[in-house]
Amino acid sequence: MNRFSTLMRNRWVQLGLVVVVAALLLYAPLVLPVFANQTLIRIGVYAVAVLGLNLIMGYAGQVNLGQIFFVGLGAYVAAYGVNQDWNILVVFIASLVVPGVVGLLIALAAARLGGLAIAMVTIALPIVGVPLAKRLSDFTGGSQGTSARFSSAPDWTGLYNDQWQYYIVLVVAAAAFILARNLVRGKYGRAFTIVRENEAVASSMGISPYRYKVLAFTIASIFGGASGFLYLVAVQYTSPETLSFPHSIGLVIAMVIGGAGSIAGSLIGGAYYVLVPQLTNAIDPSFTAISQGVILLAVLFLLPGGLVSLPRVIRRLTRRRTTRSPQGDSPQTTPAEPPPADAAQEGPENTERQIRP
Amino acid sequence: MDTFIQLVVDGLSTGSIYAALALAIVLVNQATGLINFAQGAMAVLSAYIAYAFTQAGLPVLLSILLAVVISFVMGAVVERFLMRRFERGDPDTAVVVTIGLLTLITGIAAWLWGYNNRQFPSLFPLSSVEILGAVVSVRSIATTLTIVAIMIVLQLLFLRTKLGLALRAVADNPSSAAFSGLPVGRLLMVGWGLAAGLGAIAGSLVAPQLTLTPGMMDTALVYALAAVILGGLSSPLGTVVAAWMIGILENLAAVYVPFIGHDLKIAVPFILIFVILVVRPQGLFGRKVVVRV
Repeated sequence: MNRFSTLMRNRWVQLGLVVVVAALLLYAPLVLPVFANQTLIRIGVYAVAVLGLNLIMGYAGQVNLGQIFFVGLGAYVAAYGVNQDWNILVVFIASLVVPGVVGLLIALAAARLGGLAIAMVTIALPIVGVPLAKRLSDFTGGSQGTSARFSSAPDWTGLYNDQWQYYIVLVVAAAAFILARNLVRGKYGRAFTIVRENEAVASSMGISPYRYKVLAFTIASIFGGASGFLYLVAVQYTSPETLSFPHSIGLVIAMVIGGAGSIAGSLIGGAYYVLVPQLTNAIDPSFTAISQGVILLAVLFLLPGGLVSLPRVIRRLTRRRTTRSPQGDSPQTTPAEPPPADAAQEGPENTERQIRP
Repeated sequence: MDTFIQLVVDGLSTGSIYAALALAIVLVNQATGLINFAQGAMAVLSAYIAYAFTQAGLPVLLSILLAVVISFVMGAVVERFLMRRFERGDPDTAVVVTIGLLTLITGIAAWLWGYNNRQFPSLFPLSSVEILGAVVSVRSIATTLTIVAIMIVLQLLFLRTKLGLALRAVADNPSSAAFSGLPVGRLLMVGWGLAAGLGAIAGSLVAPQLTLTPGMMDTALVYALAAVILGGLSSPLGTVVAAWMIGILENLAAVYVPFIGHDLKIAVPFILIFVILVVRPQGLFGRKVVVRV
């Protein structure tokens, strides 16, 4: 195990791994069946939404129960743009900017109240959003929804539609993940962490909790918008059902199960969001909601860092068996340490998190 | 004018339901400092339990009372075996736990009774009376009066009994309360039980109007949270006034503001929250909390 982790810290090994994974991701859609491709596409779509949620909830520590609203908003803006024959690049930018601006306005008001006010305000977003989407039928197509066909593969590529959509989702999702990774490792990520840990300390260091909460929320909304654009690429149709309340809760559950405060955890969260309901629906649809609740509570009790912390927990358990070093383990949505694969580069952040009381 | 009076009375009645749910949330928040997002789902489950009793042939009032008692136990059990572990930890985690609870309880209700609407028998007659020339339903008036009566009882419980004093002590300072020999854990269970019982009453009173579905209280929860924010978390009276205000305003807006209408009236408390948060962040009646480091 130890030799394995030192091997993982080697820069060249890491680089090699990245190249292999990238090659696999690029090659996979060409050989996989259509259904597998579609599943991968949906994982990519929701991983971006979960990633945005992770930035505001996992890193900045502000509970957001309305992320799906921004996904739906992004999808609607994209659908509107496509149906108005805008350039696809303009459509993409609009589906980022509009949710971003709306998120900014909401955060400016909601972040004024400390504590759980953001959670209490954002829970209203999907519940207000559904009737609002039905009402604005000129823009959204009412309860019928609106479809936008624009992601068919161009002839010159020689690809099937699902493969083309896969590559669009892959490019945008990869960009989102790289951007998020750089964000949380830099100055802003450290600011988010200290705002989450202790607002008084943050303000005494000249970091305005209010401003960083608003910033994190806005960024999360933009990621939500990107996810909405990708949703439209994948499904080519959106309706008020897209932004319904259970979906919003589902995103939060997926984020916590994947691993709050972890970039890799967001990917696992996206996979969880797509795969597990698919599985439980296949067994018995009436069982889906119960299993979601049970799995979430079980993870919170047994694995508070989410699935991404599983290797670390296993390693700790095996180490404890040999050295018997007692280590406290208090439940929290935010893991005390980043995932093992990232551990090497995250030195400063690591120590910062370890001084937590 | 007739419609206006009718709308105000109906608004007071729905506002009372929100008030009951909001008070349950405040009760839990005062005791444990967290927001129970599952309060609405618990109320729905309680309403389903009452429904099951009425299906078994019991009278409506008795069914509701039995559901209240069962809900009290359910709330206490949830506190003891689920929330206790997370109460001292990170508040965000505790919130996520209540979200898990919300999903779980909604799932249980859907699993046992399905997603189809169930007709819940009304506790009050569906007739109407004439007040000042306006036709007002008896159910609205009776619902409002019932909730007001329950609030008075709760107020007496908190201010005039030893149990209430102990509950307030735990809410105020758990460690000091423990040092004076109060059974803090058991009192927290009582607090959660009271909140669940209150939710059961709210759920059973609103069920005939909305018809029973697993997601019945989702919107009511949003209204209740809005009332909690507007009233300020520290003020039960403010919460009740805010809930009534929301109930009346949304009813008036639904009829008199054409763009809002009945489908968008849920946006009313939301807009109200925005205005209040910008103008008066501590809520209408809340105290400004000074946090010491």
